[in-house]
Amino acid sequence: MVVLRLYISGNAPNSVRAIANLEAICQEHLKDGYKLEIVDVFEQPVRALADGVLVRPSLAKVSPAPVANVVGNLSNKSNVLLALGIKGNVR
Amino acid sequence: MNPHLRAPKQHSSGMHATRGFEELIRRLVKGASELQAIESGQVDAIIDPATGKAILLPEAQEALREDQARDRSLVRLSSDWQWEKDKHHRFVSCEGPTIGSSGFEDKTIIGKRLWDLPFDNMSKVDWRAHRSELARRAAYRDLELRSRDDAGGVRYFSVSGEPIFDRQGQFKGYRGTARDISNLMQAGSVSQGETGIARAALDALSAQICVLDSSGSIILANRAWRAFGATKGCIGIGVPEGANYLTLCDNAGEGERVNGIAIATGIRQLIAGEREIFRYEYRCNSPIGRCWSTLTVTRSPGNSPVRMVISHETTTRRKRMEQLTGLDHRDANRAPPANRVLAAMPREEYQRLLSGLEPISLAFGDVLYEPGDSIRYVYFPSDCLISLLTQVEDHMALEVGLVGSEGMVGIPLALGISTSSVRALVQGTGTAMRMEAGRFQLEFKQSPSLQRELYRYTHLLMAQFTQTAACNRFHVVEARLARWLLMTCDRVRSDQFHLTHEFLADMLGVQRVGVTNAASALRRRKLIDYSRGNITILDRKGLNAASCGCYRIVKNLFDGAQR
Repeated sequence: MVVLRLYISGNAPNSVRAIANLEAICQEHLKDGYKLEIVDVFEQPVRALADGVLVRPSLAKVSPAPVANVVGNLSNKSNVLLALGIKGNVR
Repeated sequence: MNPHLRAPKQHSSGMHATRGFEELIRRLVKGASELQAIESGQVDAIIDPATGKAILLPEAQEALREDQARDRSLVRLSSDWQWEKDKHHRFVSCEGPTIGSSGFEDKTIIGKRLWDLPFDNMSKVDWRAHRSELARRAAYRDLELRSRDDAGGVRYFSVSGEPIFDRQGQFKGYRGTARDISNLMQAGSVSQGETGIARAALDALSAQICVLDSSGSIILANRAWRAFGATKGCIGIGVPEGANYLTLCDNAGEGERVNGIAIATGIRQLIAGEREIFRYEYRCNSPIGRCWSTLTVTRSPGNSPVRMVISHETTTRRKRMEQLTGLDHRDANRAPPANRVLAAMPREEYQRLLSGLEPISLAFGDVLYEPGDSIRYVYFPSDCLISLLTQVEDHMALEVGLVGSEGMVGIPLALGISTSSVRALVQGTGTAMRMEAGRFQLEFKQSPSLQRELYRYTHLLMAQFTQTAACNRFHVVEARLARWLLMTCDRVRSDQFHLTHEFLADMLGVQRVGVTNAASALRRRKLIDYSRGNITILDRKGLNAASCGCYRIVKNLFDGAQR
């Protein structure tokens, strides 16, 4: 099970794009084998500092180790797959 | 709170990617990949670790500004006023049109709380309920308020609000909208179009009926309700349109307090959607004496606008009847019926019949039908006794049949005849269940069980008729009197009953002196005793021996049929 956390800022355009991009990637490569938490800076302002993630949107792979981060709207699919550790599946 | 509406304002200085702004970004963001993402326009915001606030990049700011504008315009389209209140529930802003001193005028509302405004449809209890909602920081929807504008016109408002919290989760106040729903309410309350028809229909009903809005105000009352005002006995019934029924119940007088509280509680549960129907039966004092009332309150389906329909009926007569007969409808559903025809019905059919049956108390001397009368009701005696009498010109009446709990009065109806050929006279005071003739014919038609029981009973009644005819012709008065006393005893299920000699003479078709002689003879043989019309059977066996064989013949027939 891959645990992911996506940090976004409300309905801002890159945040919306990031959600759509990530969901497409997960559907294709992880099927049901992932858990995604979306953290909105506007809904959980304190959480932003606690997690130390300053740039929105950004994706964090929480587990399994190693922990990895991708910054931006996740339109670069290979970067995302690399961070998720499923690079081998790229066709 | 919805912080993204605020975000651009807080950082409006960074709207343009000025040099200072770029420097700030570079100071906060160190990583190459982050910088690259920012430069390629893939980032919306950066958190300033010093303040914890989000710094929005220009494109995101613009998008959120559009979002905000869209939200505002939608809110404006769906409401007349948009307001905010501080943590003490005082209005700090209210945007929208101003209409006289109606309650949502910007100039007067600021600094006031909702319950300081001149709304007249909320009782103390209602405001307490609303304030406890606020104390729980609950969002509220469509709170209906009523006030009068400068011109004296009634205006209705629907107010909704939700709590606001700051970033640390501290309660800041409420934000919400208000709508002027006067037109909607008036369309729902005054006689226009369909409402006019509804009002006419309600006016035609004999029960007192009114319609309440969600605050408990009476927005419509039928004619019977308005006319009821004169008697002023039953909590709030008859108060005019516009009055608040719940307030009346809350403030019911000393003797009515418990009923008032119970009714108000029931109606509030309906308003809150916790129940669909509320029924309450209570006793109250009216100028015409103690009376019973039954209140039925139902809720209009759906949520907007919530309407309660109250129907009030005086049930004193029914209640007295129940008390008189010791027969409660609820118990009647469970207890087996005393009448044997009804008792022989399958349970399901009896349950159906029951809805058409009403208990009635019959007193000695009551006449149910005269010969030639059309039969309006059939009677199933429970513990009363009814004589069927025939009259020949000027001669005295002669009893041809006796009906008790084993049968039914009104047999011609079962045979398709709607008039009675005999006089049906109540001999023994007691109770019976009666059914209206039309309903009976319908039930009889569709119930094979009822047909079977009544045909069987008709056969027994005919046997009784023929035996009585023969008996009256051939047997002596003493034997006939003994038979008659035994038959009465069987039917009232008691060894004691009240009958005068005069009455007995009528029954047996003889002179009064004949009855007196026969009764004296039976008393001498210590079979019976009597005093002032109270007859006691002392020796049933002996009386049986003294009676003619007709009693045993008919009794055996009946007993055989019952088995």
